[in-house]
Amino acid sequence: MKILTTLGSLLLALAVLAAMPGTAMAQQAETDPDAKCLKCHSKKLKKKLEDGETMFLQISGEDFGQSVHQVIGCTGCHRDVAKGKHPSREPIASRRDYSLKHNETCSQCHAAKSTAYEGSVHASMVAEGNGDAPVCSDCHSSHSIQQRSVYEPVSGEPCSGCHEPIYEAYAASVHGQAREHGNVIREAHVQAPICADCHRAHDVSAVAATNYLRDTCLDCHDGAAVAHEEWLPNAGMHLSSVACAACHSPMAERRVDLQLYDKLTQVPVGQAAGDDTFATRVGEVDRTGDGLDPVELWKLVRTTSRDGNGADVTLRGRMEVTTGIEAHRLAPRAEAVRSCESCHQGGADAFQNVTVSISAPDGRKQRFAADKKVLNSVVSVDSVGDFYAPGGTRIRMLDGLLVLALVGGMAVPVGHIALGKYLRKKSRKD
Amino acid sequence: MITAAINHSHDRRQHEKVYLHPLPVRLWHWLNALGFVLLIVTGFQIRYVDLLGLMSFESAVTLHNWVGFAVIANWFLWFVYYLFSEQVTNYHPDLDPKAFFQRYFRQAGYYSWGYFQGEERPHKVQPKDKFNPMQKLTYQFVMFISAPVTFLTGLMMWDVQRFAGLIDMVGGIRVVNTVHVLMFILFVMFIFVHAYMGFLGAKPSSHFKEMFTGYEEEHD
Repeated sequence: MKILTTLGSLLLALAVLAAMPGTAMAQQAETDPDAKCLKCHSKKLKKKLEDGETMFLQISGEDFGQSVHQVIGCTGCHRDVAKGKHPSREPIASRRDYSLKHNETCSQCHAAKSTAYEGSVHASMVAEGNGDAPVCSDCHSSHSIQQRSVYEPVSGEPCSGCHEPIYEAYAASVHGQAREHGNVIREAHVQAPICADCHRAHDVSAVAATNYLRDTCLDCHDGAAVAHEEWLPNAGMHLSSVACAACHSPMAERRVDLQLYDKLTQVPVGQAAGDDTFATRVGEVDRTGDGLDPVELWKLVRTTSRDGNGADVTLRGRMEVTTGIEAHRLAPRAEAVRSCESCHQGGADAFQNVTVSISAPDGRKQRFAADKKVLNSVVSVDSVGDFYAPGGTRIRMLDGLLVLALVGGMAVPVGHIALGKYLRKKSRKD
Repeated sequence: MITAAINHSHDRRQHEKVYLHPLPVRLWHWLNALGFVLLIVTGFQIRYVDLLGLMSFESAVTLHNWVGFAVIANWFLWFVYYLFSEQVTNYHPDLDPKAFFQRYFRQAGYYSWGYFQGEERPHKVQPKDKFNPMQKLTYQFVMFISAPVTFLTGLMMWDVQRFAGLIDMVGGIRVVNTVHVLMFILFVMFIFVHAYMGFLGAKPSSHFKEMFTGYEEEHD
């Protein structure tokens, strides 16, 4: 749809001209190149595309007149249009193809933003051929490009167009509500975040793979780290291995994601987008496809390591919420999960869902289901060496040993006393 | 006349009493006993919140940490005292393992037979050699291996980020926890057996009295 308006800037000038008295319009058309464009593009022009679709070329002169790009005029972007040269007869494969070409046009002025975008999850999806992944004009529009302040109100978020359920969760959250009610939380004026404040506007990344999002939370909640240290044992470790939303979105379903890490470089094991090597490896060890059991996971770690014995890779666990929607249902502080027992006990809900993941360079994770037993198996001492929640992921075999120790510990006095009685009885008989 | 003879005999026995456990050792022992019991109870609570409800997980962790540090400090009291005491010989390793284990099994045989027959104890207790071979091996293991390993692994779990390098070196936090729990299991067993053996003195109360007064109780 945005493509329909891509060439429409030309029509703006025409629309302006159409509203003018004949002589004045003729004079302006002589001096204002945009007016020349709008002379045609204010009309209901359309073009047949090679994919069979029709692209409308009508541009709203009023919208373009209010756009921040009005100052550079139509040819600021449509540089292939010049005196005596108009690409109208050149074929256009599709609207998407046209948008992608003009994405490059944006980079000519907005180089830094474009570079940031190139590293984003959105750009990765475009490169993979995802037709729904956004390019510049999908978020900024083609001819009604507005100043940043237009996006500031919650309702101005372009993200909601694609991420509507997540947006609705956000809008109902403590952040969204604060934003909607004048940025006030508990009678204090705050600057509650909108989407781009946490996810960044152009280098949008999949936030779950790293501590980026945690750091973003702490950027605003700068007293939070200290506040957690006051009551939470190993607060730094918790803030690193438990997603903020796992406690601050109290109704969310949680899971443990075991992410492959390179022990030497201390970074997640990466795999290029579209590379199925790891997925193939998972398929080879989990032939039944019922999720990785402890032994299969152990094999997977060993086969993934460079040396083949698992010494240079490990699985680091991270408690997170199961969906992006739930991650955005952040509640007021008083409603956050405060009870340690919600995780630190056998059979806790948080340990019923387990995934194993590997990261793509843009931060997206490829996830594979694992049996929840991987958190409690003695085999996991090796493979899941870097994740342990006391009480919650205790090794069952050690429970058995403890019972043996208790029984054995009690058996020594009982047995010794019984032996004494037997021997005394025997000696009396003798 | 008879009374005088009894008193004389009693006085003589009083004079023969051997001072086995100096005050620092007794202080360390009972503080350690209290610490061990608290650590075992809070350890159970931390590990089995779903089965035990003595206190909250949070309180159990806090108490476990504080008592843990106290027991570590207490270990150093024991270590420094013995290091500069003549009684350090009690922990010296035996240089003749064959002879040591012969005495070890003789002691085990005594507990399973001779003790009930009223036989003389195979090990004569003296201040510089107060542990029988079974005690000696057990206490060497507990004080030089189990306790330090438990302290170290406990410290690592107390502040995972501070000891991240060390944790990584030994194979990860799950390895650390597993070792800590294995030591915990050994201590649970040790406490049962140790407490029971305390009753196997000259009288059931003898060893307990010794650990309060420091003096060896008379054997019949």
